[in-house]
Amino acid sequence: MKISRVLLAVLLTMALILSACGPQAPDCSKPEVFCVGLVTDVGKIDDKSFNQSTWDGVKQAEKELGAIVNYIETTDAKDYDKNIATFVDAGYDVIVTVGFGLGEASIAAAKKYPNVYFIGVDQFQAWAVDDDPTNDLPNLAGLIFPEDQAGFLVGALAAMMTKTGKIGGVFGTDAVPPVWRFGEGYRAGALYINPNVEIFIVYHNDVGFDKTFTDPEWGAQTANSMVDKGVDVIFGGGGKTGNGAVIAAAQRGIYAIGVDTDQYYTLPEAASRLLTSAMKLLTPGTFELIKFAKDDQAGVGAFPAGNYLGKCGYAPFHELENEVPAEVKAKMEEINRMLLDGTLQTNVLPAKPSE
Amino acid sequence: MQLDNESRGMFWRSVLSAVRAALRAMLIPLLAVFTAMLTGGVVIALAGGNPIAAYVGLFQGAFGSARALSETAVWSTPYIFAGLAVSLTFRGGLFNIGAEGQLAFGAVAAAWVGYALPEVLGLSLPPIVHLPLAIGAGIVVGAIWAAIPGALKAYTGGHEVINTIMMNYISLNLVSYLLNGPMKDPDPLNVIARTPLIDENARIPPIVEPLRIHWGFPLAFLIACLVWWLLWRTTLGFEIRTVGTNIEAARYAGIRVKRILVLTMALSGALAGLAGAIEVTGLNYRHELGFSIGYGFDAIAIALLGKTHPLGVVLAALLFGAMRNGATRMQFLTQIPVDIISVIQGLILLFVAADRIVRYLYRIRVAEERVVLTRGWGG
Amino acid sequence: MDWRRFGFIALIIAILFSVMVLIGRVQTSPIVIVTSMMATTIAVATPLTLGALSGIFCERAGVVNIGIEGMMLAAAFFGWLASIYLNHVYKFAPLPSLIGGVVAAVLTGGLFALLHALLSVTFKVDQIIGGTVINILAVGITGFLNRQLFFEEGSIFGGDVPHAPGTLPRIAIPILADFPVVGRIFDQQPITFAAILLVMVTHFVLFYTRWGLRTRAVGEHPRAADTVGISVERVRYMNVVIGGLMAGLGGAYFTLESVSSFEPLMTNGRGFISLAAMIFGNWTPFGAWAAALIFGAAQALQINMQFFREVIPPQLAILQISYVVGLAPYILTMIILTGIVGKTVPPAADGQPYEK
Repeated sequence: MKISRVLLAVLLTMALILSACGPQAPDCSKPEVFCVGLVTDVGKIDDKSFNQSTWDGVKQAEKELGAIVNYIETTDAKDYDKNIATFVDAGYDVIVTVGFGLGEASIAAAKKYPNVYFIGVDQFQAWAVDDDPTNDLPNLAGLIFPEDQAGFLVGALAAMMTKTGKIGGVFGTDAVPPVWRFGEGYRAGALYINPNVEIFIVYHNDVGFDKTFTDPEWGAQTANSMVDKGVDVIFGGGGKTGNGAVIAAAQRGIYAIGVDTDQYYTLPEAASRLLTSAMKLLTPGTFELIKFAKDDQAGVGAFPAGNYLGKCGYAPFHELENEVPAEVKAKMEEINRMLLDGTLQTNVLPAKPSE
Repeated sequence: MQLDNESRGMFWRSVLSAVRAALRAMLIPLLAVFTAMLTGGVVIALAGGNPIAAYVGLFQGAFGSARALSETAVWSTPYIFAGLAVSLTFRGGLFNIGAEGQLAFGAVAAAWVGYALPEVLGLSLPPIVHLPLAIGAGIVVGAIWAAIPGALKAYTGGHEVINTIMMNYISLNLVSYLLNGPMKDPDPLNVIARTPLIDENARIPPIVEPLRIHWGFPLAFLIACLVWWLLWRTTLGFEIRTVGTNIEAARYAGIRVKRILVLTMALSGALAGLAGAIEVTGLNYRHELGFSIGYGFDAIAIALLGKTHPLGVVLAALLFGAMRNGATRMQFLTQIPVDIISVIQGLILLFVAADRIVRYLYRIRVAEERVVLTRGWGG
Repeated sequence: MDWRRFGFIALIIAILFSVMVLIGRVQTSPIVIVTSMMATTIAVATPLTLGALSGIFCERAGVVNIGIEGMMLAAAFFGWLASIYLNHVYKFAPLPSLIGGVVAAVLTGGLFALLHALLSVTFKVDQIIGGTVINILAVGITGFLNRQLFFEEGSIFGGDVPHAPGTLPRIAIPILADFPVVGRIFDQQPITFAAILLVMVTHFVLFYTRWGLRTRAVGEHPRAADTVGISVERVRYMNVVIGGLMAGLGGAYFTLESVSSFEPLMTNGRGFISLAAMIFGNWTPFGAWAAALIFGAAQALQINMQFFREVIPPQLAILQISYVVGLAPYILTMIILTGIVGKTVPPAADGQPYEK
């Protein structure tokens, strides 16, 4: 009976461990406790890209609004609903869902849990109910960005700064609409300045969805190949894949353009050759919406249901300030103004048309 | 009366000895799981986390409520099918690294039958026809996709390991193309690479609403029994196992080895395709790009952990499913990265495989039994 | 040497290059296209070559190693981590930090290989399991530590993005690299050169030294080797560990040579492609290198095809769909394996534990 004795000991130990008291989580179900949860798209919270930027916005709410914050990383798309429900069950007040993949899960959850605010990052959430614009779900806001405008701006800059007349762009898959808008905006901006500029744009379509944004090696090789063909400005857009291109471009001594945040601070390896970054201000956009939700809950403001347009722009030139001529700077400001007041259109489709 | 009592005693004795035998068979794996979790706990503690809180979270997330149990079943279902698919090839002396591609293609086929077939035929199909058609399409397509490397192996000597890896990449590209192009959901608001929703008639109903556990879960058990029956109760199974253990002997015994190699791969692909079809018809109701990622390699680990026996595969799949599912709650409660689950799973596999370590740790002496699982590349 | 095989491989690479030149010549000069593709091809082939050499060492001694992917991933992480530590904590200059990182990466590969040897040779565990264990553990450990050390506040690097000390500098081979345009091929980073050198070294060691003879004897006929007094266990241990060191160098390529950052799962299946290259090359160093070059050339084609998207002639419109071009290397590999270049023959005792 030796075996069963060992087995018994094992089972007892396991039972002991599992019955020991769990951690004391703050009680989010109390009305005075304001809790914000974040559900990532399939991917990591520390991706130095959209998940992380959004999380920074949530953490800003922790500091400035005294919110209790937490996150769940989605490992498989089938868990979207479960992960949202985990926060709802724990009494969270605001749930931020990151990425267009969670769009439908967010709509379903917003309908099911009308007392919880949902913020869908990169999700087009107008007319969520029935195509009727007056019928937005009152507790759901989609945070979207005019990435095509940011791409347009840096594309124009690239076309003005190139000496060889050849510019390049290295992106994640174009099946992701924001990436497509960055890439095609870049193309449109460059052509707006100079219809004869040669544009090399490469999307990383040949691998799975899980890898297209996390393949810096591929990004670096693609950038190197472009430099070999005389390209002297490269825009890297799309998570780590784009970062690989930006770093490789900087190493080869040509101009590099970053994406999402001002990458002068996040990619120190490339800082000395970083011309600018096409900025998509996720962190402040997320924070603003959380703040709206809190005000709405307290009855002192309104939550902007439907789509909420975040800000885009281009980052300062930093170390290359002196290499950018004054007339280029002036032109950039003019284009930015025209894009903002609508006198200039990028004419980029919201997503890639079907092949 | 006397006799009756005696036979009753015999009956209970035989039950007892069966239980004891089962316990003995389970002992090493259980101790392996225990040791792996202990080691994982040390890793968590070293990294500044609270291992007890983590495991409480893991346990609650996997088994703590009706929904948790249901989600564990949902996670385990494709693992069972895919694990069976890989284990079948191991039994036949082959190595199918391509379950992921077969699964993706099975899902494409099931989705197409699910949303497009009624339109193509111009008539609405009743559930009794539509659902089996969708699942059947997944099985057939998965089988064909896997039979290609099987045939290449049998008739040209092209190595199935390379060919299944290559076909993983091919399927990835083709499925991306299909879901971004001809099969893309035409809804103007849709920006995602995915198919339209499949017909209501092509869906596997959930067992208890509103939980997501569906009839695919019991089906997985049934299929596991079928695989067992096939392998140990049929001539074909005998031939597969003979080719698996000794290809030369099989040839001498008059087994048509080439045919068996192709059939083994096709059966394996059928199981993988079934996994994809069940995910589409039972859970997601569409094929969304990227859902199949990772199943192929998890399936290899599950097949090995289950010692390539259907029962073992089912248990291993349940364990993996529970851990993957429980990880969410663990992270929610303790912020410990879900990657720790991979560490623990790797350790479990390590301790199960190298049972000598476990025996040494717990001073267990059991008669050495060697099971040959795989045969490397040879032959 | 198997010249027929090399002929086919050269032919395929030539075809891939010509396709690109034919399409791209309206926009860019053929020399530029060819040189740039060659540079890409050689660089992309580097980790694949090292991974394949790792496999050759193991399998020539009779130990199957499907854990190359995990070894490379772990090496990429720990090499990168070491370079950051040396640079930030011990204040080393960037270049010594990077070299330290490479050493750490190589040793990481060796350590994981030691685990594989322990399992496969000493414990006689099924060798596929040993490799699978390493693959799973590497994913878990690197993902876990990457999070714990770099993201969480209060962790060692304080949630701050650490400045990695950059990447290994380019080395231009004198004279050769000075040629206009073509010189680019001879202007590469050190691990890329090292990989090519190691192909030659491995070939020499395997086929022209006592050690190589013993290794092959153990992989083909362990019992016979044992009878003549070769310690099967020792030879297998040594070869598996040497293979691990190679895989470690391949891992270093990702974080210390190509880009100066680590990303979970960043090896992206290249360890498995190296296995394919090894088998494709019939377990010979030069064959595996040639196979790795095919994968490199195919990736170069895939990248370049997108550059020249606009000038693809209409009768070849199908090439505009990037997914279709992406299929090329895999389909080619399968066709080649059908035997038009002869059957691949693994070492006879590959995958079998040796029992005295």
